[in-house]
This record gives sequence, C-alpha cells and structure tokens, in this order.
Amino acid sequence: MEKSISFSDAIEIYRATKERPLPDVSYENLLEKYHPDYYQDSCVTLNVGVNKGEICHAQLAELLQADARIDEADLAGAPVVDTDLLVIGGGGAGCAAALTAAESGISVMLATKLRLGDSNTIMAEGGIQVSINKNDTPQQHFEDTIKSGHRQVENKLVAEMVMSAPDVVRWLIQQGMQFDLDEYGDLLTRQAGGTSVPRVAYFRDYTGLEMMRVLKEAVRSSSIEVLDYTPTVELLTNEDGHCTGAVLSSLQENRYKLVRAKAVVIATGGIGRLHINNFPTSNHFGATGDGLTLAYRLGAKLRDLDSFQYHPSGLAYPQHLSGSLVTEGVRSAGAYLLNAKGDRFIDELLPRDKVCAAIMRECAEGRGIDAGGGSKGVWLDTPGLELKSPGIFEARFPKLIKLGHKSGADPRKKPLLIYPTLHYQNGGVVIDEHGRTNVKGLYCVGEVSGGIHGRNRLMGNSLLEIICFGRRAGAHIAKNSSRISHGKITIEHLSRLRRELTLANMPMDKKCPILFPDYAKFETDSDYSGLHKNIKDLS
Amino acid sequence: MCFKVSCRQVLSRDIREMDNNNAKYINTVINGKAISAPEDLSVIQALWHSGYPRIKSVGCLEGVCGACCVMIRRNGAPGVSMELGCQVLIEEGMQVVFLAFPTPAKQSYKLEDIKNSWEVQSKFHEIFPEAESCRHCGGCNSTCPKAIDVERAVILATKGRFREAGDLFDECVLCNLCQSACPESIAPNYVGIFSRRVTAHLHTRPSNLINRLEDLRKGELKVIF
Repeated sequence: MEKSISFSDAIEIYRATKERPLPDVSYENLLEKYHPDYYQDSCVTLNVGVNKGEICHAQLAELLQADARIDEADLAGAPVVDTDLLVIGGGGAGCAAALTAAESGISVMLATKLRLGDSNTIMAEGGIQVSINKNDTPQQHFEDTIKSGHRQVENKLVAEMVMSAPDVVRWLIQQGMQFDLDEYGDLLTRQAGGTSVPRVAYFRDYTGLEMMRVLKEAVRSSSIEVLDYTPTVELLTNEDGHCTGAVLSSLQENRYKLVRAKAVVIATGGIGRLHINNFPTSNHFGATGDGLTLAYRLGAKLRDLDSFQYHPSGLAYPQHLSGSLVTEGVRSAGAYLLNAKGDRFIDELLPRDKVCAAIMRECAEGRGIDAGGGSKGVWLDTPGLELKSPGIFEARFPKLIKLGHKSGADPRKKPLLIYPTLHYQNGGVVIDEHGRTNVKGLYCVGEVSGGIHGRNRLMGNSLLEIICFGRRAGAHIAKNSSRISHGKITIEHLSRLRRELTLANMPMDKKCPILFPDYAKFETDSDYSGLHKNIKDLS
Repeated sequence: MCFKVSCRQVLSRDIREMDNNNAKYINTVINGKAISAPEDLSVIQALWHSGYPRIKSVGCLEGVCGACCVMIRRNGAPGVSMELGCQVLIEEGMQVVFLAFPTPAKQSYKLEDIKNSWEVQSKFHEIFPEAESCRHCGGCNSTCPKAIDVERAVILATKGRFREAGDLFDECVLCNLCQSACPESIAPNYVGIFSRRVTAHLHTRPSNLINRLEDLRKGELKVIF
C-alpha cells in the first residue's frame, strides 16, 4: 500500500469550495480490484447443509457449520408455551409481522435478544424508497433496484416490494410515523446513490428512529406478548421436518423455554458484528447472524453468502467512533468526496459498492488521508455543502451535527474523514412473496432474507423491505392459522447436523448461534447484567 | 496486499484499540467495581475490557436506542448527570452506575380509537391523567440525555398543542429517564411520542402519496419484467 498523506497535512491543503469538477475516472476493474467481496481467499465452499458445495464467506461458513448450543438434556423440564405465531427479532420487520398478524386476531409472541426495538432499524438514517414523484414510476424503482443489485435478484420479490411501497408508507403514517414534508404537506424525497430520480422519503437523519419509536408504541399497546432479553438458541421441528416452534433462552431467568407455534418468523437482521473482513461496522450490537444459522440447520436454502454491503461513509476518525454511520443523504444533498489533494475521484451518487471501491482505491494508491493508529480515509466535504446550501445541516442532519460534536469538530467547518464500514448482508434465506422459506412453517423477513437486493442494496430499500415483507408474512400466517394445528416439537434436526459435521470432519468446538460478539465476553451462564466476571476470567 | 484473515483473529477495531499496549490507562469505578482501562474507551467498552460480560443495557452503541442509561459523577464534580453509556468516554476518577432497565410505561392506547381530531385532547387526558399535575420541578429536563425541553412538551400537550409538543421530542430515544425522574409519575417521553403519533395519524396527508395510491388502485401502474 502506498504511503498516504497525514491528517494534519491534508487538512492544511483542504479548502471549502462550492463547486468542484469531477475529473476523468477509470471504472476498469474497480469492483474486482478493490471491493472487499472480491478479496482472495475470503470465501470457502460449504461442506454441510442444503447449500453444500456453494461459495460462502469463511466467517459466515464457520457459523453455518458449527455445533448447536443445546442438546436433549437441556430441554428436560423446560416449560412449554403455545402461541399461534412466534416472531424472533424485535426490529422493524419483526414488529411489522407481529402487528399485522395480531390485528387479524391470532396470538403472537415476539422474542428478542435484547429489548424490543434494539435493532439496525432504529439506526437507519437515510429513509425509505417510494415512487411518488411525477417523473417516477414503480417500474423505474424496479429497474434501479435490479440494476444496482447487478441483476442477481428475484424479480418477483422486487416487483412486489416496489408496487407495495406507497401502501407501506401509508401504513406507517397510520401507525403515527412522521416524515419531512414540504410547505403543502407533500412528502419530500432525496436521491439515493444509483437511482434515476429522487425517491427516498425521510425524517431528517432519524428515519429509522422515528419508525421504530412508532412501531414499539404500537406493539406495546397491542395483544402481542413481548419477551425481552430472550435470544432464540434453536428451532423445533416435527417428524416431517416442519418448523413447529423454538427454544428460547431467558437471560433474566437463566433457563430455557420451549415455544410451540403454528408458524415462526425469523426477523433477526444481519451480521455486522461478525466484522466481516476485519471491517468496523455500523451495525447494532446484536447483529450476529443468528437467524441464518437457525434457518440453515432446518434445511432452509440460503443465497449470495459471499456478498456484503460496505457503506461508503463510515466515520474513520476519531478512532473510538470508527464505523459510525454518516448518512448517504449528505452525498445525496450534494457533498463531494475528496482525496488528500482535495480532488474528487468518483461520482458520489453511484451505487454504494462502486463508491466504496473507489474510496479504497484512493487509499491504496497513496491519495488517502492517514490519521494514525490505523485510521485512514478520504474527506466527506461537509463544509463545501454548507457553503452551497447554508443551514442544511441544522435542518436535515441533526444527528450528524451531534456526531461531529462528539468527535470534537463541527462538520460545517471541517470535513469528516470517512472510510467504508460493514453495513448490510446482501444475501440471506431464500423466500417467496409471503416471506415463506422452503421449510414448512418457517418464514424469514428483513435483512436475514435474500434475493431482494441482489449483490448491492440501494439506500432506502431496506426500510421498505422490512415493512413490506413483514406485513405480507404476518398477513399470510394469520390467514392460514386456523387451518394449522400445533405439531410435535423435537430437535431431531440436530442429530442430522451433528452426523453431517462428523462425516465431513468439521470441528465441533464452536457453538452457534453466537448471540453476542466475542468482545462482550458472554458465556451461557454469564450474569448478563455484567456485575460479576465470568468464572474463567477470575483465575 | 494481504487480505487473508483468519476468523479467529477477526476482532473489531474496538478490541484492537483495547489491546494497544501503549494506551494510557484510566482508573474509574463502574457499578462499584474498580476498573482500569485504556483511555478512548466508552463506559461499556471499559466494562468489557475488564472482563465483565455486560449484555443488559447494550444496544445500538450509537446513542439512538436509549438502552445504556448511566448515572455519572465526574472527579470533583458536585452533582451527578444522566447519560448514555455508549456515548461517554471514561475519565480518571469517574464513577458510573448503570441504571436498571426502567419500568415500561403503563399507558396503553390505540390510535384507531381516536375517531377524529376534535377528540384528541379529551383522549389525551384519559390516557395520561397525571400530565396535568406537572409541578414544574424540571427533573425531566435535567435527566434528558438528549437535552429535550421535556417539561415544556408536557405542558404543550396538556393544552392540546400536540404538533408543537411532538416536535420537541424529535430526538427522543425512549430511554425512560424522564419518567423515572418525575415525582408525579408522568411518562413524559410517552406523552411526546403520543403527540407525534396523533399528529401524523390525523394530519399527515401528502397529496403526492395519495395520488400514487389512487393510480395504483385504478390499476394504471404495473411492473413488467
């Protein structure tokens, strides 16, 4: 790697300017050479399960091919409760599924590893895509989505999503969600990188927070039974391999509980806290890919397991905030990306994978800015944007001003040092338009599912996806619930998993789902409130 | 460039910082335990660094989920402050106590039960009967980690000025600290969220969205693939 220019030298060179021309940019092999999805040796071939023989990122493969946390002895004496629907995960997708099902009158239980609402949803900033402008159509929304995803998408799912987007936003407003409006009360929109027209409706840079507050309140005032601090450690199956419930671990009571359900929705989100390829992450503390492991063991087919999204603008300096997200909305509003010499190097509103690769190219070729201690990056020219549109930060990006305050600099006066941060799991469990997997009784919605964003997601399509498919799954389950009866609950599938792992000579020392990143030091018998050290750390 | 990373070696940037031998160590007391940890760690990271497996009260780690409420006394400072643990870096002599998962609000309501906007104020007083008893003690304002003018929002809501009340709460993370500070057991944050919700539910009617819904209803728009 070429030597970069130091932070202090670069800030000397930097001058805030309104307009800067984009020089000629080479796109030749940009992704292949610089995007982390193309790192050599980062992927392996899966040895067990339905995706056996397919490519998967090594860190994810380690989870998918790990041993389970429990066996038969753990279930002896565990209480069993019945519900029509069990939702696993308390983010936007889980809440949308639970609310929709509960409105139809079936009994719903929602189990979440942390608290209701603790999720990536609450951290989403940019907004939600909905084609409402005169120069826009669902067809254009569809085309932008599949183009950005390199056409590796399930067309039917994308079509369902873009057609339902206006109704999704209406539903959110009915739940009490506010959006930024113009003087006549129309929804304002901003442009996402890689789209043909402005299409992202938003609430400041707090869109996800506003959405989650409202959904939490709606769930709290409903008949849904919410179980906080209750991670799911295993699914349950009947003799035909259908999903019939789950094994929950109550951290508060330090015991297992069995839930027998007619249908299970996995809405556990993504994998940012695995720190794929050693990247910092913009993800929530609980984003450890639990749902992928659980679903895969039951025989659910997965896809695109080698494709992850790195958000171009993660904060790179100061170090203790590294990985924190700076919304794409800032580039959408006109902020440039500049290298150490103060030059632009990419069209800032290309899809995220290309912008991310271009930033990494600048740093690799010695045009990045080195802040010491391993932090490097490029400038996000926020002072230039403030010059062009005075007052825009105060009006549209209050969270960013707060972030700047914490990092000791006002983004309106000094540019922010940014570098890509691990942001999203592009692939996931294969689903149909109702969120159904190939395992009967098992549904997956939200980031844990795959096929909607292909190999690169557009800003604003995930908040849309979680509500769209969350509602669809909830409605489908409620409609069919009366025709289904509770099944037998076993962990037979774990015998098959262990047999396969042994036959494939796989190590059995890792227990999954991991539930928490290793730096949280959580053990099965940990005191989860952290008042006592783990026994093994006391020696 | 070497991109091959063994999974066992993969740690977050947080941890790499924690393992930096040159870092200056800071002495603090967290939950009554003496803790020494490298500077530049947040309160939560310092706890982890010292081998305490904290899971409870850890959330987004970006200051928007309200999970990690802590009470802090800085070295030599006369008073305590309420802050979010993921947002506070440890300091020499700092004392920190994680606050227990506060009791959730007792109020329960359905927006659909408010049939029209004339009824909002009476419904509000049914749902939040304590709101009128505000003593103007300012306790809620002093605990709010987001510096929201909580008390003013409660007063505005009791007067039926829900849009203004809700606007004041745009950065609320529902940490419940204002609720635990209120001697009259008002749940000010839920007053704020109620104010925001009724405003959207009853008054947000964007014509660009409604037009598009109408086009879709008539079957004028399709996706062809």
